[in-house]
Amino acid sequence: MPKSVICYINQFFAGVGGEEKAGIEPYIVEGTLGPTMAIDKALKDANVTYTIVCGDNFMGSNTEEAVDRIIKMIEDKPMDAFVAGPAFQAGRYTVACGAICKAVQEKFHVPAVTSFNEETPGVDMYKKDVVIFKGGNSAAKMRKDVPKMIGYLNKVLAGEPTLGADAEGYFARGMRKEVFLENKHENTAAARGVDMLLKKIKGEPYQTELVIPKRDVVPIADPIADLSKATVALVTSGGIVPVDNPDRIQSASATRWGRYDISKLDALPNRASNGFKTIHAGYDPAAADADPNVCVPVDAMRAYEKEGKLGHLHEYFYSTVGTGTTEGEAARMASEMIPFLKEGHVDGIILTST
Amino acid sequence: MVKVFERAGFPVVHMCNLVPVSTTVGANRIVPTISIPYPLGDPNTPKEEQWKLRYHRVGVALDALATPITEQTVFKVKI
Amino acid sequence: MKLEIGNIHVKDVVLGSENSFADGVLTIDKEAAISYLKGEDDHITDLDIVIAHPGDDTRIVPVIETIEPRVRMDGRTLFPGVTGDVVPAGDGELKALKDCCVTVVGKEWGSFGDGVIDMGGEGAKHTRWSEIINICLVGDTDEEFERHEQQKCNHALRWAGHRFAEWLGKIVKDVEAEDTETYVFDPILKRDAARNELPNVAIVLQPQSQMEALGYNDLWYGWDMNKFLPTYVSPTEVFDGAIISGSFMPASSKWSTYEFQNFPLIKELYKHDGVDYNFVGVIMSNLNVALEQKERSAIMVRDMAINLGVDYAIVTEEGYGNPDTDYVRCQVVLEDAGIGVVGVSNESDGRTGVGQPLVVLDEKLNALVSTGNVGELTELPACKTVIGNLEAMNRDGMSGSWGYDEVLGKSARDDGSIIMEDNNWFCGDHISGLSLKTMKEF
Repeated sequence: MPKSVICYINQFFAGVGGEEKAGIEPYIVEGTLGPTMAIDKALKDANVTYTIVCGDNFMGSNTEEAVDRIIKMIEDKPMDAFVAGPAFQAGRYTVACGAICKAVQEKFHVPAVTSFNEETPGVDMYKKDVVIFKGGNSAAKMRKDVPKMIGYLNKVLAGEPTLGADAEGYFARGMRKEVFLENKHENTAAARGVDMLLKKIKGEPYQTELVIPKRDVVPIADPIADLSKATVALVTSGGIVPVDNPDRIQSASATRWGRYDISKLDALPNRASNGFKTIHAGYDPAAADADPNVCVPVDAMRAYEKEGKLGHLHEYFYSTVGTGTTEGEAARMASEMIPFLKEGHVDGIILTST
Repeated sequence: MVKVFERAGFPVVHMCNLVPVSTTVGANRIVPTISIPYPLGDPNTPKEEQWKLRYHRVGVALDALATPITEQTVFKVKI
Repeated sequence: MKLEIGNIHVKDVVLGSENSFADGVLTIDKEAAISYLKGEDDHITDLDIVIAHPGDDTRIVPVIETIEPRVRMDGRTLFPGVTGDVVPAGDGELKALKDCCVTVVGKEWGSFGDGVIDMGGEGAKHTRWSEIINICLVGDTDEEFERHEQQKCNHALRWAGHRFAEWLGKIVKDVEAEDTETYVFDPILKRDAARNELPNVAIVLQPQSQMEALGYNDLWYGWDMNKFLPTYVSPTEVFDGAIISGSFMPASSKWSTYEFQNFPLIKELYKHDGVDYNFVGVIMSNLNVALEQKERSAIMVRDMAINLGVDYAIVTEEGYGNPDTDYVRCQVVLEDAGIGVVGVSNESDGRTGVGQPLVVLDEKLNALVSTGNVGELTELPACKTVIGNLEAMNRDGMSGSWGYDEVLGKSARDDGSIIMEDNNWFCGDHISGLSLKTMKEF
């Protein structure tokens, strides 16, 4: 049985009208409409079963409502994939395509694809979440852009391997995967490395296999105004846990974290006295097992508390393992800690890493 | 982690040995520690020295939390 | 220096009651081998030899080490400072048993640095050990102090592996080699004018040395590399057993002793030597943990490169995570000194591939080869035969497997199927240059 694909286009491509009709609310029609006919033709073992139309301004100014209404329109309909656009160089239309693709794939877990020109705002807003093909700058490129995007989708629908962002022609999503090359000498890392070196020596062009992205910075949080009245929390990625590791935090590539009551402790007792140890597999555990305060300095914090330099040490310390743990997992764990930190009226954090 | 805490409005001081890793992950306030396996106390030194070092560097970290900065800053430690 | 390696190609290995080599078939006197190895080290309590062939439906775990069996024609020890006295390595004649390796396997117990090899099926592509005959040395010891530790020195079994490789090599001492690889490394100050006009190329190796406790790190002539400073060495020393692998580091990122003996990146550099560049040798560095140690090593590598007149270099690390700091720093200081660099390493992008690939990033890294992602998940059906003990994956803290996960369950399931991170494949990312993997954006 052929698979079902639902498409999204704006009022202009639906033939409703231009700027004056950009406020129209979403509606759905059976089968193809306008450019979705070309999509239907390019699909291999699938058909366009429905086409959704929405005005760019309506989507732009009422995004949440528009997305909700569209989701309701399609939730009872069979759907194996979702296609929006191509949106070419139409700014608002690209943002609409990105928003609806992201929502549909999150809600229904089906692949969603779209296509826009590089110079549009939708690219940066959605390229991490959605497969966006690099499209032309006007509808005249329809005949090129549709087969590219649908050729990829045909492979996905058939469960065939795809070739990666560059070879398929979509914007890199920052998602890297292993690729096994054909078993021949010139494909070995040794041959690839020396070949790259030769090209560098000869001044010939070469392609690095890992492009270093530009650095991401965060705005600096305001300092603590009065340390002597402040509550400070200790957080560690050094894997310090009670000896029985009650939260079963993994030794590497951690996905779990724990928080442990220190309100009655002047210092962390060590592994030998049945207190705390490290489960971090990325470093020699001897020192932290013998004295966990070298990693989570409860003793020093108490000293400053007693002197009055520090108002209060937060009742718990928070712990996970940093080795092999992805930024995404670490960020999730940090967000999960935040409500507890807020509840404890924490004013600042000392994060120790190993 | 540092970035998530800082985005939520908490000033964070990152105490770590690998300062380049810390600047790459985007920590704004950084206090160096002495090594990876024992950030705040070398087990090859007497207990009193370990304590002196830890007390000093944690103090620098607390001061860092209360110090206004305008860019990524690595705070100097004396011991 | 001149190293000649006579290759003897092994078509099959069988266990028997005497040692022989005929028509490409190596016969091993199993009882004699076991009694020799036990006699050399009374910590070994249990030892067996099992042969695994390419294509066999066999899973080997926990794999501790792989070594190429060889013999030195002048009787010098194969691994100076390890299997014998500290004697010079890097020149002379060797014979090597090709297309096979000694594979050291824990009979019961694994550790953080141990890995998995699949000889057949879909798992075979994950390591290149599946393409050669694995002469598995499966054993247990009385090293009780580390029985339940995640980090193990595995001293008795690793040393047994190196001794076994040498013992096997002696079987073919008088067998005529089918082909000979010759590696000449002339004194670099006495090279002819034609070579001196070529750009100078060096390779910087960063072998594993992270453990402060001794006994876990790679050894240079038997010397623990945690207590080592960057040194200028001959590529032939690397090929000739001057360095052996350690027991620490997630398995897929390791350089096994076999890989040092055949270091593919160095062999590849030899191919263009004297034509496209003048290969001036190896700067041997390390991967210690403290920032000061890292900075000191980077400075010393840079200074050696400058003083040798190096124009271009390859930098490669045995590891990921905090060693990336050394890997990146070394490339940055060399690029800053006007030395063009190509870096070769794996990545740690996490299970979904969206993580930061190296813990330190610097835009000066402009030519990188990526040999895999330690975090990618692999799920495979059971194999008919297991050499070693599958349960080690769940119990012993191997770097890419676990005993409990709320979503994925345990790594080695009761039906013999497995799910694990690619971290767990023994030398799976083959950073030394054997890797057929690359990384792409999807």
